[in-house]
Order: sequence, then C-alpha cells, then structure tokens
Amino acid sequence: MKLIDWLDERLAVRQLIKVMMTEYYVPKNINFLWSFGVLIILTLTILIISGIFLLMYYKPDANLAFDSVNKTIMMDVSYGWIFRHVHAVGASIIFLLLYIHMARGIYYGSFKPPREIVWITGYVLFILMSATAFTGYLLPWGQMSYWAAQTITTLFEKIPFIGPDLVIWIRGHFIVEDPTLTRFFALHVVFLPLLLIIFTAIHLYAVRIVGSNNEDGVPIPKEEKKKKGIPFWPVFMAKEYFVMAVFLTFFFFLVFFHYEFAMDPINFTPANKLQTPPHIYPEWYFLAYYEVLRGFFFSQNLGLIAFVLSMFIAMFLPWLDKSPIVSGKHRPMFQVAFWIFILDFVFLTVLGKLPPTGLYAWLGLIGSIIFFAFFFSLPIISKIERKQIENGGNKK
Amino acid sequence: MKELKILAVLIIVVLIGYIGIEPYAKHVMHGTIPPPDFSYLDLPKFEPAGDPVKGKELFKANCASCHSLKADGIEAGMDKKTAELSFHVVPPDLSNIAAIVEPHFLANFIRDPQNATKNPKFAMPPMGYLTNDQIGDIIAYLKSKAKKELTGKEILQDACTRCHSVKYQKIQAITSKEHLKTYLGKIPPDLSLMGRAKEKEYLITFINNPQVLLPGTTMPRLGLTEEATEKVVMYLDKIADPHKEERKKIGMWVLIYMLIGVAITYAWKRKIWQKIH
Repeated sequence: MKLIDWLDERLAVRQLIKVMMTEYYVPKNINFLWSFGVLIILTLTILIISGIFLLMYYKPDANLAFDSVNKTIMMDVSYGWIFRHVHAVGASIIFLLLYIHMARGIYYGSFKPPREIVWITGYVLFILMSATAFTGYLLPWGQMSYWAAQTITTLFEKIPFIGPDLVIWIRGHFIVEDPTLTRFFALHVVFLPLLLIIFTAIHLYAVRIVGSNNEDGVPIPKEEKKKKGIPFWPVFMAKEYFVMAVFLTFFFFLVFFHYEFAMDPINFTPANKLQTPPHIYPEWYFLAYYEVLRGFFFSQNLGLIAFVLSMFIAMFLPWLDKSPIVSGKHRPMFQVAFWIFILDFVFLTVLGKLPPTGLYAWLGLIGSIIFFAFFFSLPIISKIERKQIENGGNKK
Repeated sequence: MKELKILAVLIIVVLIGYIGIEPYAKHVMHGTIPPPDFSYLDLPKFEPAGDPVKGKELFKANCASCHSLKADGIEAGMDKKTAELSFHVVPPDLSNIAAIVEPHFLANFIRDPQNATKNPKFAMPPMGYLTNDQIGDIIAYLKSKAKKELTGKEILQDACTRCHSVKYQKIQAITSKEHLKTYLGKIPPDLSLMGRAKEKEYLITFINNPQVLLPGTTMPRLGLTEEATEKVVMYLDKIADPHKEERKKIGMWVLIYMLIGVAITYAWKRKIWQKIH
C-alpha cells in the first residue's frame, strides 16, 4: 500500500484509476459486440510484439528479404515460425475485428452526436491500419507481395497532372524495386505504428469523454450512471476477459492449424518482376474495395473515383445519417438497408477474388452500385424518420 | 440467449465470406486438378525384358559416351563442360534410373525422348536404331544395377537437380545457369519452398505430366513411377515446412491452455456478474 500512496502523491494514480476504471461507467444494455474495441487493442499489441521479434531477423533488402523471412525466420530461428504465423494471422484477423467493430457502430448509431470524433478517429485508425497492412504485405518480397504493390501503386498514375511523377516518388523507382521495399519498411515499422498508437489514444480519450453508446441508443443521464451502468473495472472487464479468452482460443487455432488464408501459397515464390502471376488479388480485407475498383469495368477512371470514394465515404456517416433515432434497433427501414449493405459487402469481397470476366464483371458493377446506394439512402431514410416523428408516429 | 443469436449471425456471415474467398474462389481460379496417369499408355506399349549382360555391352557402346553409371564403375565419355557445350544440360548418371522411371516409359524414352517427354527440344538424341530386344537388354541391365529403396532426397537428386536448385538444402543445379537458360529459355524455379507454394495434388500431376497444368512449359515429362513421384513430393513438403510436427504439437498445448483460460475467465465473470441485474 505504501507504493501506491507514494505514487498517488506524485501522479494522483488513485484519481486516475477512478476516472479510467472503477468509476467509469459503461451502460448495462450492451452486448458482446461492445467487446471488440478491447479485442482490437489486444490484437494490435500482439502484432506490435510479434513484429518487434520479427524485426530482429528481417532484412529489408530486395536480395535478402525473401530468404530472411522464409529461411531464417521460418526455418532456422527457434520458434521463429510462431512469430511469423502470429503476425500474419493477427494482421488478417484484426481486419475482421475492425469490420465487426465498425458494423456495430453503424448498426447502433455510435457515430451520431456527440460521438462524431470517436467515429472519425476510429475511421482514421482503419485507414492507417490498411496502410500498415499494405506496406507490410510487401516486406516478405514474394510474388503476390510484389504484384499487389505494383498494381496498387500503379493506380496513382491516373491522378491528373501529378500522377505519373507521384507513382515514381512513391516507389522510389520506375517499378517496384529495392527502394520501394525499404521505404515501405520504414513506414510499416516506424511511421504508421506511431500514428496508430497516437490515434488509438485520441479514440479512447474521446470515448471516455462521451461514454459508450448502447443497444437502445438512449444516453444514460449522469445521475443514473451508477444505477443503469456498470463500472469498467471490474465488472465490464470480467466479461471482457472471458470474451478475450474465447477470441484467443480461436486466434491460436488459426495460427497453428488454419493459417493458409493469411499466408497465400503464391507468396512462397520469390518476387519475379518478369513473371506476372495469372491472378493478382489483394488480401481478403481489401477485396470489397478492390471489386469496387474493378466493378466499373467500362471506365478505369470511374472505377478509380469509385474506389477512393468507397474507402472514405463511411467516414462521413455522421453527416449522411442525421436521423434523430440513434439505434438501428428502433429503425425498421434502416435495418433493411443495413443488412443489404452487409450482405453486399460480403458479396463484393467474394467477387473481388474471382476473375473479373463475363457474369462476374456485371455482378461486380451491381454490387458496387448497391454499396453506394446504402450510403446515399441514409439521408432519405433519415428524412422519412424525422417526418414520422414530427407526425407523432412510432416514437421511441 | 440474445448474445448467442448475435454470435450465430456473426459466424454465418463470416463463414459465407470465408467459403466464398477460399474454397469457392480457388476452385474458380484453379479448377480441379486432373488426376495423374502413371501408366503412360499414350506411348506405344512396350514390356521390356532382356539380358543384363548383353545390356551392359550395349550400354557401353550406345550410352556411355554421355552417361555415367557409377554403380557399375562406368564413367561418362565426356566431362561436365563438354556435355554442357554440346547439350546445354549435363546428362544424368544412370545408376538408379530404372528404380524411379516406369520401365514402359523408359523404353519409349530411349527410342524417342522428344515424344516421351513431350518436349520437342529435349537434349537427348533419339536412339531409334536400337531394336526392341536391345532396348530390353539395356533396361534389364539398368534394373540390375539400380538400388531397390531410394529416399525422397535421392530421387530428387536423380530426377530434378540436373536443372533445379534447392537452395535451402544447399543443393545446386548440376547444369550451370547460363546453359539452363539456353536450354530451357529460363532458369527453372528453386524447389526449396515448392512444397508450400503448390499443393500436393498439383505437384504430383505436374511432375507426372507438366503439359497438362502448364501447357508450353519446357519442363519435360520424366516418367517417374507413382511411388517415386509421391516420395519426391513428400520430400518437397518436408523441406518446405520442416516444423510441421512441432507446430501441431505446440498448437495442441496452446489450445488446451487457452481452453483452461476460457473456463477460468468464465467462472470469474459469473462470480462478478451475479450481483448485476
């Protein structure tokens, strides 16, 4: 007890623990989907730690990278393979967690006032995570690493005026080459993780200020916090530890027994700039956006605009969906749109991996249009709901 | 109960996506791999039988100018450099060839290598002037000298390393890179990680008949027996994924540990949440 007194005098730790943990109240009417934020932090921690260990043997050089990963780390270093499996599976699964976390936010209206900053910082985190995943995927210098980077960096060529110069600036060369690898390495291990940590801090700070949303979307008044809420520690975290344990069981099952989805066999072939693989596709978590890019198959420019829009449009949800009803639980019309959107996202993800020919090309176009239709239907749905409330309709 | 329903919805959506991008998309992209055909019956039927003693003489007269047979102390008539300059590939030592190649294929191969391997630029000249009996004698001789039991690594060294390197096993292709490039148009891929880059069924069918999966490839059909093909593919898998057994063992322990964690955390959750209504 003495140490805590000593620290309390200097850092006011007791007050800090109260504010952050024991007297931070989370609503009672939330389900396990509200556990995914902590799961993401857990997975990010796993990624950072496994990444640091991989960094001890990885060599960011076009001539050495492939062997340093596939021979040194995977074969020679004791338990090196565990670290790579954990890092690869973690990078893949964190996107599943992010998507569930975001879908929960969309369904229960967690982006609505006063939580706009929570939503925007969260979305920035998603974009940063995507950039981290994209730069990291090049590092093993396998065939798919190389050609995915080549394909995606080529997209910048279409930007008016500066495009072609920009591509060379990003690559540090006319094609993806050693300089591309070293700069992606720098971004992947220093710059992007640093930004991720900073934005995570802002995201969490913002949540502490405005509090968690809940299933009904009705905020708890300050006076009733103790009655209607549960303290973050120990009550919320008691459940959270259970969810974490279940998640980790699933995670390690994937790491040891079912990792192929995160470690594409094609990437066990070293990068070869003279040989394009027959099918080039990104990792699964980018497939939906990739399909939007290909979906407008009749116009590359239109596809590119759609692609950029699809990556960022969800950030503007607080201004697209201004319905006074917060939670989707009480919005039948929104529910229909939401589930169509979710199924469409899965549909696009699957199409993104299939060859873009014949029927698949047309399905891609339809899927892309439905993707945007969801976002553009939100202002309309909001307007109808507002009218219903004004007419004294089903107000909840 | 409500939470279990949410979990069920979550699992269904994730599963649909998973099945779509893994098994289904793979099936669309790669199709089904045709089964291998180890009978090689597209080639004229030939059941070689003969006299190994005559075969040795025939071997010395017809084969030994290029091929060695170290098991019987026969050295090739030309050294590696000369062979490379004439053929752009080093002819193999034939000590164990009869143990790994289907006899019916081998007979057809000696008569017309280009047709048997399905590679019109295959380096060995056809030995059409040999009679069926003579070919039978040579094969009988080769059989008499071949080891009965070969390991996957030995088969790989006999069948593959003329052209392929296996860098992680410190195996260098016998023929030099420049000559391979002239002979095959490109340097054949390193085999160190082939066991992870391609699935087992693919490798077996590919080795059995490369043209089926990669039309136009310069890789010759080698006529390996079913047993030799499977052994070599198993070896490729082993060297590409050396920690397989360890991974399964550690994986089981980690899962057991995690399940204990699930039980303990669940017990704690129940205890804390008892008071919550």
